[in-house]
Formats: sequence, structure tokens, C-alpha cells
Amino acid sequence: MAGLTFQGYRRENGKAAIRNHVTIIPVDGVSNAAAKNVSKIIHGAEALVHPFGELQFGRDLELFFQTMTGVGSNPNVAAAVVIGMEPDWTDKIAAGIAGTGKPVASFYIERAGDLAVIERAARKTKEFIHYASEIKPREINLAEIILGIKCSESDTTSGLGANPTVARVLERMLDWGATVMFGETSELTGAEHIIADRFKSLEEQEKFRQAYNEYTSFIENEHASLLGSQPSQGNIHGGLSTIEEKAFGNIQKLGNALIDGVLAPAEPPPDKGFWFMKTSSAAPEVLTLFAAAGATLQIVSTGQGNIVGCPVTPVIKLSANPLTVSTMSEHIDLNVSGLLTREITIEQAGDMLMDMVLRTAAGRLTSSEVLGHREFLPTKLFRSA
Amino acid sequence: MLVHKPGDSTGVVITNIAVGEKVAGLVTENNTGFELEACSNIPLGHKIALKPVAAGEKIIIYGWSCGYASQPISAGEHVHVHNMKSARWR
Repeated sequence: MAGLTFQGYRRENGKAAIRNHVTIIPVDGVSNAAAKNVSKIIHGAEALVHPFGELQFGRDLELFFQTMTGVGSNPNVAAAVVIGMEPDWTDKIAAGIAGTGKPVASFYIERAGDLAVIERAARKTKEFIHYASEIKPREINLAEIILGIKCSESDTTSGLGANPTVARVLERMLDWGATVMFGETSELTGAEHIIADRFKSLEEQEKFRQAYNEYTSFIENEHASLLGSQPSQGNIHGGLSTIEEKAFGNIQKLGNALIDGVLAPAEPPPDKGFWFMKTSSAAPEVLTLFAAAGATLQIVSTGQGNIVGCPVTPVIKLSANPLTVSTMSEHIDLNVSGLLTREITIEQAGDMLMDMVLRTAAGRLTSSEVLGHREFLPTKLFRSA
Repeated sequence: MLVHKPGDSTGVVITNIAVGEKVAGLVTENNTGFELEACSNIPLGHKIALKPVAAGEKIIIYGWSCGYASQPISAGEHVHVHNMKSARWR
């Protein structure tokens, strides 16, 4: 099985991709209009609109640059167009992406206006679409996939069905030498000691403890409680009563895999293996951070039915909740509700998800891609200047 | 109803359950079956108490403490935010 391959794309820097996007990246909220207009004119180009990028500073600004550069550098992106108000920050992001060797162009709206920029950027985007369309698919080993895993709109069926199914796939992929990321710091509350014990080195274990405690102190400093948010109202409708119960359901998706280390938000994993990233638990933020760190495929297990997607990676969604798979079937790529009725075994569910991973890598569009769920939400750490 | 581990305080019902209904249970870890009478209506995916839990006592799920009973809970009763609280966030 370790020799499983699919037809994917090989980028200039050697990284493997399963999609071939041309992406338009607005640097700041006011550049969204031009970026969106270019994507309307040029078929197949996607604008990653977002509200940020103005007067951010310090760690928050660094994370912003890392996110924008990271998403543009994602192997699933064949070429990128960056549109901003002024040259400095626009070129900083474009230069970061150009480090991968892929084609990048930048455009500035000040002293030109939207209309001139839209025309110039559209011409360049058209060139990039031609370029991307001629990149020949290559045989890629499945182990070269960089996988992000996340559970979302969880309920009790997540811990019973969808999450253990994800665990089967990640354990196999890690055995084959793949790279996998998980996150959701607040959602480990009650089970954080179990996760801490799974780090391969004491040094990384200590980094995890610090990351967890740092998050807890942040909440305390806000004089706030996550009660009412964690578990969310959707989780509670689905039968989850406490954060501890949600956390134990959450960690079912990690199986028994040992963890290599802790990543800062949007930080690319330094090596293959299993990595914890400091993230919020909100799905669009987590998927965006994993994409910025280089994830080429993401798996979201859901109970009540999160419909989220990502603009640069396919998102495979699976659910074991019989109500979700019948009332929201268009959002669910894999129905594992047979686990609850014992019609399928966890091994069979794992095989079904593995098959869906291969099919998705080979080009099957996921529900999120077909339905246009391309949520892009950079994480903002604090207020702007 | 499905139960994660032997010794858990609650199981998850996989269909809507009405008061007085006999519910067949299965512990997924060791595939042992049992039966229990529901004393509340319980919606699909919600928890049913497998044994009485005193107020303040821990509620065990996945073999671990997932909170405590905020009031006495009878065997067969619906367990949720009205009678179960987090020990971490209050």
C-alpha cells in the first residue's frame, strides 16, 4: 500500500500538489474589489478575499504575511497574482511566494486605480491560466500529501464514528511517511494531558504545555470563559454536554499516533510526521492556517454538518450522523453512519476514507469544491494600530 | 445505544428514544450487549445514564472524567447540560 500513487502535479521546488489553481491574492480589504473583478473576467482564477492587511503590527502582522505568503506558496497553487494598494507590502508577499519558483506578479492600485489594475492583472492572470493548463500531471506518491485534519460541528457521533475513521487513515498515512497536521488548542481541554504524553520528545511536550497554558491565560486575561462557545450551541444540540466530552471525542481522530512537534500558526512542518499547530477551533481559520502551512488535502469530520471548504485545498467531509448524511447529503463526501448501526466496521470505514483520499488526490472534486465553499479566513491575533 | 468503554456512566442513543422504551446497548470496546429502560425522552445522539449518578459525582465517558452531575441522575435518564456540567469551565 505504501507504493500508492496518483496523477498529481510537481512544482518548481519539488513539492507535490493535487490541485492546479491560479490564485489572486488581495493584500488588504480594499483590494478585494479588484481581485474579485479579475476572477470574474478570467475563468478558473480564484480571488482570496479577506478583510485584513491594514495597520496590523508585531506578531499579528508577521502571522498575516506568513498566511498570505504561505497560501500563495501552497503547492496546490500553480501561479499567483498579488494585488495591493502600495508596492511595499504587495511585493513582500509576492517575493515570499516567488521563493517557491512559481510564477508570481504584483499590481498596485495607488497611482493607477482599480480599472487599470484590473485590466493589467487580468491579462497576467490569463497568461498564468494558460501556463497552469499546460503543466503535465506526474505520478506522485500518496505519502507526499500534506494532510490537515479537523473535526467540526461535532456531536456524539463524531467520537463514535467519523473521528475514529479519520484516525485509521492518518495512522496508515503516517506509516507510509506522510505529513499530517492537527490543531484546535481550546478543544483539547480535559484531554490535554493525554495529548502531552504523546509527544515524541520532552522538549516538544513542554512546548505543547506552554502553548496550552498560554491559551488558558489569554482567556483568563480577558476575564472570560469559553462556556457557551465551547462546546458550541451546535455541539450542544448534537448531545455534547461539556468541553471535556467534546475533547475526548476530538482526540479519537488522532488514533494512537505519536506527535513530532508543535508548530506556530501557519508554520510549515519542518519534516514529515505528525504535528500539532496552535490554532483556534473555528473551522475556516484552522483550514486557512493549515493551507498556509502547505497542506494540500484536508479532512473534516463532522457530526451536525459543518459545510466549510478552503480555496486552495480540497476538503473531504465525512459524518456518522444519520440525520446529517440524509438532510445535508450534498455536503458530505463520505457517509459512515453505518458505524452507528454496526453495519460497517471501523476498518471498513477506514478503507472507505482511504479510497476517498486517493480519489480526491487523483482529481475527484469534493463537495466543498463543487458547492463553492472556499472560505478563507486569516487568523488575527489582536487589534490593529 | 453505544457505549465507548466498560465502566462509562453514559451511552449514546442512536435513534430517538421515548420514556419507558427498552434500549439495547453495546459497549464498542468489547462488543458486550445489555438492555436498559429509558426514563426520559432522549433525542438521537444524546446520552442516557447507564447507572445512578449522585450530585457532584464524576461522569465517566471514554473511560475518563468528562464532567460531573449537577443534580442526582437516575439510570435511564437523559444526561445533558441540565444535569451535567464541565469541571473545567464554569
